[in-house]
Amino acid sequence: MASFPYVSFRQASLRQVGVVALVLATWLVSAAFAETQKEYSFTVGPNANISVDTQYGAISVRPGSSIQVVVTATLKSDKVEVDRQQNGNRIQIESHLLPGANEQTGQVDYEVLIPPDATLSVHSSTGPLSAERLQGHLTLEGPDAMVNVRNVENGHVHVRTMRGPITVTDVRNAYVEIASIGGDVHLKSVTGPVVQANSGSGKIFYDGDFGSGGDYRLTTHTGDIEALVPADVSADFSAHSVLGRVQNDFPLQPKQDSRFSVEAGRSFVGTVGKAASKVVLRSFSGRIRLKQR
Amino acid sequence: MTCSEVERVLPELLADAPDGALPEKFEAHVKFCPACSDLISDLKLISAEARQLAASEEPAPRVWVRISAQLRSEGLIHDPESAPAQPVLAPASTPPRWRWSALWLAPVAAAILAAGSYVISHKPAPPVAKQQTPATQATAPAAVTAAVTPAPAPARAPQQLAQKSAKPESVKSARVARPAVEPAPSAEDQQFLSAVSTFTPAMRTTYELQLQAVNADIRETQAYVDRNPGDMDARQHLMDAYQLKALLYQIALDRIQ
Repeated sequence: MASFPYVSFRQASLRQVGVVALVLATWLVSAAFAETQKEYSFTVGPNANISVDTQYGAISVRPGSSIQVVVTATLKSDKVEVDRQQNGNRIQIESHLLPGANEQTGQVDYEVLIPPDATLSVHSSTGPLSAERLQGHLTLEGPDAMVNVRNVENGHVHVRTMRGPITVTDVRNAYVEIASIGGDVHLKSVTGPVVQANSGSGKIFYDGDFGSGGDYRLTTHTGDIEALVPADVSADFSAHSVLGRVQNDFPLQPKQDSRFSVEAGRSFVGTVGKAASKVVLRSFSGRIRLKQR
Repeated sequence: MTCSEVERVLPELLADAPDGALPEKFEAHVKFCPACSDLISDLKLISAEARQLAASEEPAPRVWVRISAQLRSEGLIHDPESAPAQPVLAPASTPPRWRWSALWLAPVAAAILAAGSYVISHKPAPPVAKQQTPATQATAPAAVTAAVTPAPAPARAPQQLAQKSAKPESVKSARVARPAVEPAPSAEDQQFLSAVSTFTPAMRTTYELQLQAVNADIRETQAYVDRNPGDMDARQHLMDAYQLKALLYQIALDRIQ
């Protein structure tokens, strides 16, 4: 049969083509999404100012040496680069997207070790963003980023998101300012001279004792507000939902509030204990609930 | 002997002589023809590699049937009398080199398919689903989580506002009705929408929905303040709503920069 060897050869060739195709596909995919890790170190003095900005990717910041900043960047592909600049005590790290980069190939994940008292500013569209065990001024921003701040003392904590949920845990004696258009806000054991959280449609949960001598203001437009506090809390409460309902588990000592006439089910005012802190809960149409732990 | 003659019979010769030995007249031509020499080298390599393939890598018969049907539909092969089920390249009317290059479309197509599959499988979730995931994963205190509504809060689209009717009846009646039709965007909003039009479609939609939601909040609050001008608390909410709109503008601006 004259054509048999010819056909056999073609079959073998097609098999070969298949193998080559697989190898080529694997190579293309691995080349396009090759992950590389880079580490950068900077020596700094007291009160360093560190900024990390990436379009896509996670940023995690923890305390390290008091005189050094160490940045470990994991680049998901060669479609993105890391630009870095140091001017004295100011360090700027920025992801630089190359043509053709997208949310996957343009991703850079950062792990950053900074002096505990440094001023920090991080930004990522996708996140997540996290900072822990720091004492300086912290700013975390990201439209869709999930933000997590924990174990922070003193300083300022500024968080802004569009939809990303925000969790702040174990923050003491800090100036806390949180704003989100639609993200939920969770505050657990957060105390300080000023604690403000504002979300449009997101919910706000507070679990803690409102400290002593602080000014707390939790505000939403349509989102619900819930505060879970111990029985021995010492605070001056004022809650009002313009169109929503309020609920209170505490026997409050009556007090006048000139801003609005207290309307059962829509507002309550009063003090518990020595009213050490001032707590203002406001919503336009969300529900407000003050619960006893 | 010419190049085309060599190319026409070369596959058969290689198949008949697996050790690579060729008749003398071929050798004479190949010796002085780099193109044919390269072609023979390539074919020998492929042929040798193909023989190394294990039996387990033999595709199922239906694969050959499909390939055969595809090549036949493209006019690249015809049905030989002796081997109806196996693909056979068209005879010499088509230049052999062209046929080989056509075959190399297969790995390219496979690579594109593989890359496409990867991209599709890693396609980011829609905005609402994306919002739900981190909200669910957020490390909320257990006590608080148990006490609140279990569903995570997705990004609120204007049409979803109607679903907030789960509130008490008295609240519903007190609420300011939101217009069913979106009013024309202001000049600032036009600029905003123009700026976000450069974003990816999913992100652009997200920003547009957020803007609509924030504007709806402002209109709702403004309507209430108009009816209750002495309500200082409502005025504060109106200011807060504008601040959130400013925040939205700023977030979009940060992204553009």
